[in-house]
Amino acid sequence: MSTILTHIAITDGKIKRSSLEVLSHCKSLADSSGASCEAVVVDANASSFVEGIQKYGASKVHVVEDPIFKNHMNTPLLKALSKVMSAVNPSVFAFASTEGTKDILGALAANQNAAVIADVSSFDLIDGGVTAKRPVMAAKIMNNTEAKSDKVLVSVRSGSYDLNEASVTAEVNTVDFSMDDSDMKATLREIISASGDTIDLNEAEAIVAAGRGVKDEDGKALISELASILNAGIGASRALTESGVYDPSLQIGQTGKVVSPQLYIAVGISGAIQHVAGMANSKVIVAINKDPDAPIFEVADYGIVGDLYKILPPFIEEIKKIKG
Amino acid sequence: MKFYICIKMVPDVYAPIQIKEGELIMDADRMVLNAYDASAVEEALVLKEKHGGEVEVVCIGPAKASETIRKALAMGADKATHILATGDEEYDSASYAKILSAFFKDKEYDVIGLGKQSQDTDSGLTGSMVAEHLSLPYTTNAVGLEVENGNLVVKRQGDTGQEMIELPTPCAVTCSNDMNDPRIPNLKGIMASKRKPIDQIEISSLGLEEASLQAATKVTSYEEKPARQAGKKYDGEADEVARQVAQLLDTEANVL
Repeated sequence: MSTILTHIAITDGKIKRSSLEVLSHCKSLADSSGASCEAVVVDANASSFVEGIQKYGASKVHVVEDPIFKNHMNTPLLKALSKVMSAVNPSVFAFASTEGTKDILGALAANQNAAVIADVSSFDLIDGGVTAKRPVMAAKIMNNTEAKSDKVLVSVRSGSYDLNEASVTAEVNTVDFSMDDSDMKATLREIISASGDTIDLNEAEAIVAAGRGVKDEDGKALISELASILNAGIGASRALTESGVYDPSLQIGQTGKVVSPQLYIAVGISGAIQHVAGMANSKVIVAINKDPDAPIFEVADYGIVGDLYKILPPFIEEIKKIKG
Repeated sequence: MKFYICIKMVPDVYAPIQIKEGELIMDADRMVLNAYDASAVEEALVLKEKHGGEVEVVCIGPAKASETIRKALAMGADKATHILATGDEEYDSASYAKILSAFFKDKEYDVIGLGKQSQDTDSGLTGSMVAEHLSLPYTTNAVGLEVENGNLVVKRQGDTGQEMIELPTPCAVTCSNDMNDPRIPNLKGIMASKRKPIDQIEISSLGLEEASLQAATKVTSYEEKPARQAGKKYDGEADEVARQVAQLLDTEANVL
């Protein structure tokens, strides 16, 4: 029986939602193909996540627990994943396409002599391998890519699949792991996190995103107020992170974060392809822009043509009233 | 510091694209230096200007790629190697990584730099594959580079924020285009580039079996992105439309 293995990413002490989306899809692939659905979690507290993982159908969870995984570093993560992959020998090893994954995916494929398809919107099993759809050419178009190999790595864009609970009691496999100091050539000197309070854009149910139209502190204040009453994360277009108005970690787009919240409010964003590629999977899109021809209106479910400085105050007030 | 920057010639993503029966139709003349690689070249040049050293570029591509290589030389790179490939081989990231790794096997360098992904495939795999083949410490998605005590200090965009990572040399790094604005070659640079050497080599000279380079992944077709349906546009008195849409988000969309 072959195995479909899903990597479960942990960020800030929580299971990344996008990993569970991938696991849900892998579970359905395993069910329909008669394969075993398994998961691997690599973290300083890896064993504490087994309960959350088995809810989504992994019948076996490989746990690699070590304090070295407190912060992301590619060397130990690669070593752990290589070890598990060699032992489990999955026909498919799937990941959420996080920055952590991007840091090691190619190296893991090379290490394990596996085929790899990165950053896909969807994937399925075919005879001898995997077929996937993925955005290319700066996300202007899609292509279909096939990987024929007995080992295929796949990374999946967030929001590509729905969560599907399928509770099982998983068998836990605790994997022995240790790193020699001599193996660690790189040093993580520090992490400058975008303020600890900010809502993780990948997990946020709602996001308010600011674009070039947000010109000043008053504009930023309106964005913050709207985000606050919606309990939303704050994101920004590339223009605003490049100019330093918002931190680069808040950039939403093809080269920034790809998000898929229930509600996405684009404020003063024109809707360039690269930005849309980062949020097109959102359930409901609202756009506020004073240019009626802005491309953002082509993807918005609700498009408000107007000056954001005039629209946001009554918009915020009305939402406050509705939420009571 | 000796930098080797891997560069790729890619289609201009701003050029019109057509898809006919699953095939991609583009203007074959509109090819450019991959923007992410341009950032890698630029940062290497900045560090060379600051700390001294050399910047060499290496490019796998057809004859036409010499134009892309000239651009990097015109920016200020010192010399280049052009590894000839016809373009019909349908190489994937792994194939490119094997070729580059074979090229680097007998070379001396401090830093191998690459763009973090190429604009045509957006795969982002080759850099870490090369690092793995060459057993180099590496990091990816660099938004800043510095040299300190002979080490490379990288500011990297991670999942939780910006990470400062120190790499001993030799090492590899993949670069985000958020790192800088690559310089546009000036006339002096363009003239100088014509005198800089481009060493042309065949893949076969790298001692690789063609069979080992066969791509495990293959693009079978292209298609348009599924269009998201546009919803409704609300135009009118600001106060009115703002409140109207807020209400709809509650009653119709159910997202409040």
